[in-house]
Amino acid sequence: MKSAIEYHTKSLLNSYAILFFSQNKVLGTLLLLVSFFNIPAGLTGLVCVIFALTTVNQLGFHRDFTHKGLYSFNALLFGLAFGMFYQTNLAFLLWLMVGCIITIVLSIILSAWLSKYNLPVLSIPFIITYWLVILATGTDNTTGLLPKDGLLPNQFSSLGSQHLFSTSAQGNSIFYFADLFFRALSAIIFQNNVIVGLIIAIGIFIHSRISFSLLLIGFFTACCFHKITGMYPDDVSYYHLGANFMMVSAAIGGFFLIPSLRSYLWAIISIPASFLLVNALTKLLGIYNLPVFSLPFCLITISLLYFFTLRITANKLQLTPIQHYSPEKNLYQYTNNVKRLDNLKYLPLNLPFMGEWTVSQGYNGDITHKDDWANALDFVITDEEQKTFEYPGTRPEHFYCFNKPVLACADGVVETVADNIEDNTIGQINTLQNWGNTVVIKHADDLYSKVSHLKKNSIKVKPGDVVKQGDQLALCGNSGRSPEPHLHFQLQLTPYIGSKTLKYPFADYTGHNLGAPDKYFAYSIPEEGMVISPVEINILLKQAFAFEPGYYGVIETPDGRKETWEVYKDAYNGRYLYSKQTGAVAYFVNNGYEFYFTAFYGDEKSLLYLFYLAAYRINFSSTYPGVSDNYPLPANKFGLWLHDIVAPFCQFVKHTYLNQYQINRDEISIAANAQYCFLNKCNSIMEAEIRIANNKLKTFSVKMNNQITEATWDSANN
Amino acid sequence: MEKLKYERPLIKKMNTGIPNKFGQKAAFEPVKYIDEVPVKQLIEKFGSPLFVLSEQRIRRNYRAAVRAFSTRYPKVQFAWSYKTNYLNAVCNIFHQEGSWAEVVSGFEYHKAINNGIPGEQIIFNGPYKDAEALNLAIENGSLIHIDHFDELYNLITLCKSHHKKPKVAVRVNMDTGVYPVWDRFGFNYENGQAWSTITKVLESGVLQLAGLHCHIGTFVLSVNAYKAAASKLCDLAMKCKSQHNHIIQYLDMGGGFPSVNTLKGYHPSGADAIPSIDEYAEVITETILNAGFEKDDLPLLILETGRALIDDAGYLLGTVVANKRLSDGRKATIVDFGVNVLFTSFWYEHKISPAQDATQHTEETVLYGPLCMNIDVLRESVNLPLLNAGDHLVVHKVGAYNMTQWMQFINLRPAVVLIDKSSNVHLIRQPETLEYLQTPELLPDYLKIVHG
Repeated sequence: MKSAIEYHTKSLLNSYAILFFSQNKVLGTLLLLVSFFNIPAGLTGLVCVIFALTTVNQLGFHRDFTHKGLYSFNALLFGLAFGMFYQTNLAFLLWLMVGCIITIVLSIILSAWLSKYNLPVLSIPFIITYWLVILATGTDNTTGLLPKDGLLPNQFSSLGSQHLFSTSAQGNSIFYFADLFFRALSAIIFQNNVIVGLIIAIGIFIHSRISFSLLLIGFFTACCFHKITGMYPDDVSYYHLGANFMMVSAAIGGFFLIPSLRSYLWAIISIPASFLLVNALTKLLGIYNLPVFSLPFCLITISLLYFFTLRITANKLQLTPIQHYSPEKNLYQYTNNVKRLDNLKYLPLNLPFMGEWTVSQGYNGDITHKDDWANALDFVITDEEQKTFEYPGTRPEHFYCFNKPVLACADGVVETVADNIEDNTIGQINTLQNWGNTVVIKHADDLYSKVSHLKKNSIKVKPGDVVKQGDQLALCGNSGRSPEPHLHFQLQLTPYIGSKTLKYPFADYTGHNLGAPDKYFAYSIPEEGMVISPVEINILLKQAFAFEPGYYGVIETPDGRKETWEVYKDAYNGRYLYSKQTGAVAYFVNNGYEFYFTAFYGDEKSLLYLFYLAAYRINFSSTYPGVSDNYPLPANKFGLWLHDIVAPFCQFVKHTYLNQYQINRDEISIAANAQYCFLNKCNSIMEAEIRIANNKLKTFSVKMNNQITEATWDSANN
Repeated sequence: MEKLKYERPLIKKMNTGIPNKFGQKAAFEPVKYIDEVPVKQLIEKFGSPLFVLSEQRIRRNYRAAVRAFSTRYPKVQFAWSYKTNYLNAVCNIFHQEGSWAEVVSGFEYHKAINNGIPGEQIIFNGPYKDAEALNLAIENGSLIHIDHFDELYNLITLCKSHHKKPKVAVRVNMDTGVYPVWDRFGFNYENGQAWSTITKVLESGVLQLAGLHCHIGTFVLSVNAYKAAASKLCDLAMKCKSQHNHIIQYLDMGGGFPSVNTLKGYHPSGADAIPSIDEYAEVITETILNAGFEKDDLPLLILETGRALIDDAGYLLGTVVANKRLSDGRKATIVDFGVNVLFTSFWYEHKISPAQDATQHTEETVLYGPLCMNIDVLRESVNLPLLNAGDHLVVHKVGAYNMTQWMQFINLRPAVVLIDKSSNVHLIRQPETLEYLQTPELLPDYLKIVHG
């Protein structure tokens, strides 16, 4: 019951907040309040929203979209406008309902159609519906609707209508601009009120500093442009300022694109275009006495977005990949993900051998790794004197790598095998069958790995065999173009022995250059001369974090808080932990080497959020117990408000994560620490400990804001 | 021009025929340097006899062994067998390289702890573990390898008072095709005793069965014996999984790899007859990898190799005391080190080299130690150049067991030095003194005066 009320209230507030691309409760509430500055309009707006929400909920449309207000905000606009411009009578009520229904239907149809192209519907359904009402009513008033105070909607935005913009404070004074700015904001909900605008401005500032600054940029650009061109004889109308220029700036500069210098430039560029469109459309639609409303904004935004989606590479102007309904969150998540999750595009590859091997020839090697075959690696085994063989080194058996197992680097199906080429005597090469005995494995469409120069008759697999990562394929040999035993490894796009090579990193390994200490490498390509070995995985740690769909855990605190977490996967095969009591969701990745959270949505007071913070990244390596990472910056933290404004251009605050684990027999304790770093000055804000016993998560405790939360897994369900 | 060295006259019977086309190599290569340090200088500085250990050789051996196993198996751990050589300097070289400790008595256990080895990296083997050490091992979480039922029952009783669940392994003996069968350590595989012990351990409720251990022999020259042993241990481990749903965390293959010494009465010589550590590694790892373990359940492979890692890193330097003629006409040479310090001369035909230049002439000699005991024979027959009193000898491959099984008998035990990789010489054990020897002695008052 409680959650149902919460759901409906949130949907209602979202329907208001979404007018400014937000899901912020404060902004939603403020908009709801100020809409009642004009009581009839506020009332019809509210009625339409509730009607729209009830209808789409009852009809069973996507709850998530409904919840975000995506299906109801056009109805809100329609209600607000309808209540603003028409007098209340019986016909009014009738057409309000009819218009509301048409808006809802159009919202759903158009958003479904446009979403195929990844485009938003914006306020088009409202505009169409309202036009229908105006056209139907016409001058002969066939619908029985009576315009208020002789105010016709088509006059609302027509050029030069004196009463619509302030003439009292003409000039360049700051008061004039402030007055105009706030009126422009209030115009978005069809009002013309400085107080309303001020309250909305406060709401937007609380929601997003980036949005607010973009609104300002839009406002001033429009004013400047107008000043230069003098396009409108009197002044630029506050409605066009608000509904078109400022909204274009906010949408392009910081909502549909990741806020950046480039997106800001596009926002500025789009304003003159809007001018043109406003003028042209006003003249065109004036023929039919139709107001342009926010049509220029819709057309400009949708066209530009479609224009951007048609690019092949995004480079530095990035469309928002996952919409978080907050420019700050979009920005911080995106910059964080670019750094952290870039490697998700790679299939995790392990080294094709056991123990310590040396890269005898790296990418673009001097001997044979050239041209189309440059992205390959040769491996040998060396001793402490960098010799590859034991005295006298005259036969393949004297070489350390000869006869050593060669493994599958990842799961796949054996594609091609060559297995009857003689091993060379030392110093001889076979250029006829230059690859020697070879296994090619298909890992995915257009992704093959190849190991070559294997020992004759040592290959254990045949084409068609399914191999798992780590399965033995063959023994290292000396066949083909190989004067001394070594292992050749490459990735390729095509299945042939002799295909061109493909640059591809290994998911994790440890290695060092001669004389340097061992280091951990993730998604990296080893360089020539490096001594590398596979990472030894701590099985207990790996098993403790093996959250597969169907995993079910009950987590309790001493003060009686209890959450049930279950693992699900979404339509894109992404795994997430879902907290049933709080609705919080934490997405994670577990690639067998590492467990890490990729995103968190929902209640930040939930235990799941604390676990997300504490176990942000866990590396399973048993040699390198500890890892560091960066959280995305919080989207709405008071202390960061100034940073938010400049964040699209440069970021100088970091939210870091660092952990270290200790193994005591079968018990593992992971100590994690989170800090805010302003340039180089760091401030610890969280300390956490996760305890694991016998490959099961047992407890975690998080100390934050001087408050310690201890949570325990209920052993019966774990 | 330097004065030519005097060599006594020698009459040698001419033999017809030559062993190979290059002729028999009669001359001995003198060994004048050990790791670039002159033998003569070592003896001058530290006295004779003197044990010399080469750190470089130890590390090289260890790394070669690790390389042999870790490039064939993903999880390998060596544990230094303390009894082979427990001089702290030696132990710590192995520990620095990453080796755990394998101990077989309370005293060795304490030694490992004193060397700074964490409790959980100590393997406690052996047929007798005293209660005090066992308690300590439980407390420290060491790996306790159970040898017999009495020990098992004892351990269960001790655990009840400790409220700790120690990690244990069951020692298993088995027929590996090498005879006589070493059946004295642990529980027999063939007669089912090992399996019944495993069941007892699992059902005790107070012990964690972490591993299985075997120690199939010493100086085992057959690679196949390890194959048999590994496959029997794997069989038990798989059975633990299938019948008790219990995963065995490690398999300990014990020690027993031979060094390149030549056993008495064995032909050909060690270097030619002995399989390399790679051959052992290949069969052991292949057997375990093909046993059918799931990838995550693959047990850690522990090796307690001792002898093969250190034997050839040890040298014994000594000096000729006298030459004499025996009644049957054979030549005899007396040197200043006896079987009390070169215990392994009971097993091996040790290679002995002169430490200075000599002519190509050699003579068959009996090599005696300095003890006034008939058994003090180092080599019953060895071809050596014509040595004079005061000449130096180098005995090779004496690193294993001598510096632990040696004893003070008639003569005191000599110093041990370690040559590091930059050829610096470190004294790691001082020569014994009379005072040291007598420290634990107590003399009743009435015996203090001899001439009353």
